[in-house]
Amino acid sequence: MNRRDMAGLVAASAVASPVLIGAAYSTLAALGLAGVGAQGFTLDRVIDTIGSAETWRGVAWTVATAGAATVLAIGIAFLLAVRLRASRMGQAAAMLPMAVPHVAAALAALLLLGQSGLLSRLSYGLGLTSVAGEFPALVYDRTGIALVLTFLWKELPYLTLTAMAVLLSDTRELEEVARTLGATPRQAFWRVTWPQLWRGTAPAIIAAFAFLVGQYEMPALLAPSDPVPLSILTFERASDPNLARRGEAHVLGLLALTIAAVLAILHARWLSRVEPDRR
Amino acid sequence: MNRWRDRALFLALLAWVLLPVAMLAVRALAQSWRFPQILPAATDRLSALTLSTAAGDRLASALAMSITLAAATGLIGTILGFVIARSAAGSSQLFRRLTLAAAFFTVIAPPIALGVGLQVAMLGVGLGGTLVGVLLAHLVPATGYLTLFAVGVFSSLDSSLEDEARTLGASGWQVVSRVLVPLLRRRLGEALILGGLVSWGQVAITLLVGGGLVRTLPVELMSIVQSGDDRVAAIAALMLSVPPMLGIGLLTMGARRTGASV
Amino acid sequence: MTRSGLELRHVRVPFGDKAGLDDVTLQVPRGERVALLGPSGVGKTSLLRAIAGLGVLSSGAVVVDGRDVGSLPPERRGVVYMHQSPSLFPHVSVLDNVAFPLEVRGVTKRAARATALELLDRVRMGFAAARPPSTLSGGQRHRVALARALAAEPAVLLLDEPFASLDPELRAEVREAVIEILEHGNGPAVVLVTHDVDEAAGVADRLVVLLEGRVAQVGLPADLLASPRSVAVARFLGIPNLIRGMRDERGVVSCAIATFERPGAAGPVAVVVSAGMLRIRAGQRDGPAGTVTAVLHRVAGVAVRCDVGGESLLAVPEPGIDVAIGATVHVAVDTRALHVVDEPLDRG
Repeated sequence: MNRRDMAGLVAASAVASPVLIGAAYSTLAALGLAGVGAQGFTLDRVIDTIGSAETWRGVAWTVATAGAATVLAIGIAFLLAVRLRASRMGQAAAMLPMAVPHVAAALAALLLLGQSGLLSRLSYGLGLTSVAGEFPALVYDRTGIALVLTFLWKELPYLTLTAMAVLLSDTRELEEVARTLGATPRQAFWRVTWPQLWRGTAPAIIAAFAFLVGQYEMPALLAPSDPVPLSILTFERASDPNLARRGEAHVLGLLALTIAAVLAILHARWLSRVEPDRR
Repeated sequence: MNRWRDRALFLALLAWVLLPVAMLAVRALAQSWRFPQILPAATDRLSALTLSTAAGDRLASALAMSITLAAATGLIGTILGFVIARSAAGSSQLFRRLTLAAAFFTVIAPPIALGVGLQVAMLGVGLGGTLVGVLLAHLVPATGYLTLFAVGVFSSLDSSLEDEARTLGASGWQVVSRVLVPLLRRRLGEALILGGLVSWGQVAITLLVGGGLVRTLPVELMSIVQSGDDRVAAIAALMLSVPPMLGIGLLTMGARRTGASV
Repeated sequence: MTRSGLELRHVRVPFGDKAGLDDVTLQVPRGERVALLGPSGVGKTSLLRAIAGLGVLSSGAVVVDGRDVGSLPPERRGVVYMHQSPSLFPHVSVLDNVAFPLEVRGVTKRAARATALELLDRVRMGFAAARPPSTLSGGQRHRVALARALAAEPAVLLLDEPFASLDPELRAEVREAVIEILEHGNGPAVVLVTHDVDEAAGVADRLVVLLEGRVAQVGLPADLLASPRSVAVARFLGIPNLIRGMRDERGVVSCAIATFERPGAAGPVAVVVSAGMLRIRAGQRDGPAGTVTAVLHRVAGVAVRCDVGGESLLAVPEPGIDVAIGATVHVAVDTRALHVVDEPLDRG
């Protein structure tokens, strides 16, 4: 191996090692061999976690809310991108939520959507509800509506900007070609623009979804106590007064890392499908 | 007409984007916001974002902590990211791909999951609950983002400049210090901002590795929200949002300029 | 009787804030290939886009097969516009690319694919039908793009700088594809835009030279090269020898290399002649004498730059003749090959 490749190997290791080290420690802790409350090798932590219904309900709920937000975000992002692609102001406006940290966004959601929030007050003012408690519980609710909306608010900029970038690239040329070949604007959209949008944004969609699945702050402030989202469950176990159970946090952590790894692989495969065309 | 539909869409987008921020601002400026007032009563409205000494001190020290971590993460992360990207760029495709994959994974790995493992690791080396430990933990996602950023910078760089400098007699280090750094000054600045932003927004990792002892602004904000003091929370939320707004504003201006010159 | 093909009537095309093209009138019958030549920035692409319906006209009419298409959207004009680099749809196979124009016209997928396959065979790309476009080489992409354009059965086909940014080998390949595929007779009217005179002359039946916003000259390549109408056209076409001359009242033109009769108004003129018409022959003793200043080895053959009577001229030595720099040579001139433009040759 020559010097350059050596440097490359070191580079890859440098980036990968923290995660690998963390995962290694987590594995040890999951097996009871490391960390606070470790009592020697045991598979109990793993069995308790994987066998617990709470775990899988949490995973399902997390994936469902992240998925719902992502689906909504795709639809709106495409709409915005197609209609506002040329607008500088549209782009600037779309970007603002990126700057607002997740905790702040969650707080705003509480103020807007909580039972004593702005929407509830408007509904009271319009005579739709007579007491704060009558307003539907959007926060802390099993349906997770407030959380999904907050997810959506935060993720939309990323997908919108990606979609806009796709449309502003050679998509325009392809649309023109389609038109002179005889396609009506509608045909050109569905046969050319729409497939191009999907191809160009698929990696970003996967990344956005992965990001929402791993989010902590927003579910911490907006999610119900049953089912418990995966990240919250992990945190609860990690601070469990019963030290022996802390190992379960690591099992959950490794579970989350596995999900992320799968998504990362999907992402990489999509990227390599799209890359060859870059002129 | 299409024009009106698009205009309506733009306005809807604007409202959607601004409403939460406006909400925070309104709440921050009101002593109390009793149900069912739509807007806080005139008597409750404050003219300034005043804070009690206790709350003010808490937020001030949290702010200082966040700034310190962000600055350190930005600086160290930028150096790491660019060095890693450069090493990867010069090597074979396999290692380049591995580096990119590892960096990307670091970026999308759930912070909680990373945090639990790193917590044990830090405790193991005695850095649990320390600023240094949290800094190292912040550097994990930051280096991931910055490596991806730097790879992008290097791939659009014209290597002929470096090659010419070498044939003119510059050593490896001189090429870096006399050619690359001046050339990439703006991108390095953007990387500093990006690294800082990544650290600025970290909550899960700070909580786990810091053990509740390292109180950054977002961590502080979470406790305040959970305690129910909406006004102080709103103030803290606005305080938390301003630097990222500036940062992202600077980054987009930079991106526009680069786009124009390409 | 309606004329088939493309007709431009006093077309005016804006070009950003600048004047663009003014008063272009042109007829291109079906089956004919015409090259629009002009320096970059003169507005050629804007003109093509306006014809296709992708850009605007300031005034004038675009007539296709006898119909004014000015108010029609691009998909109804019968005009196909091909970008500089072949814009094949990356998300479908080569076959479906070619089938696209048929499908959007309502042809069933099966029938469209069958026709598309025939067209692909015609351009000798049938073997790649199932492949994605990204796997094709540059020349192959051009072929597929042409097949796709033909599938649309256009009345007019516009090629925008098809040879730009291609290396010489690929250029030849594309040129042959264009000639081979766009046969005369039943094919569409072809208008291609280029700034490369040689490529244009190689592909087109007629050349249209656009200079300073107007049509400067139209004609067969050979005619344009032999008899450019103005000094500007001659310069643009790259004709190497532009010689100062003077015509007297008797209609006799005198210049550094010859004195000959060419009736016309008295005054300063420019004498234009190609390199090939100034020969250096073995054993030549008479004719204007000059000193060789450079020997140029070109793909087309050796040329010699020599100083004759103060004019720097390009001449072609006969095969086998060796010329050294500094040598004195006599240039053989056939005065019938000398073209005279009634314009002074400004020393610019």
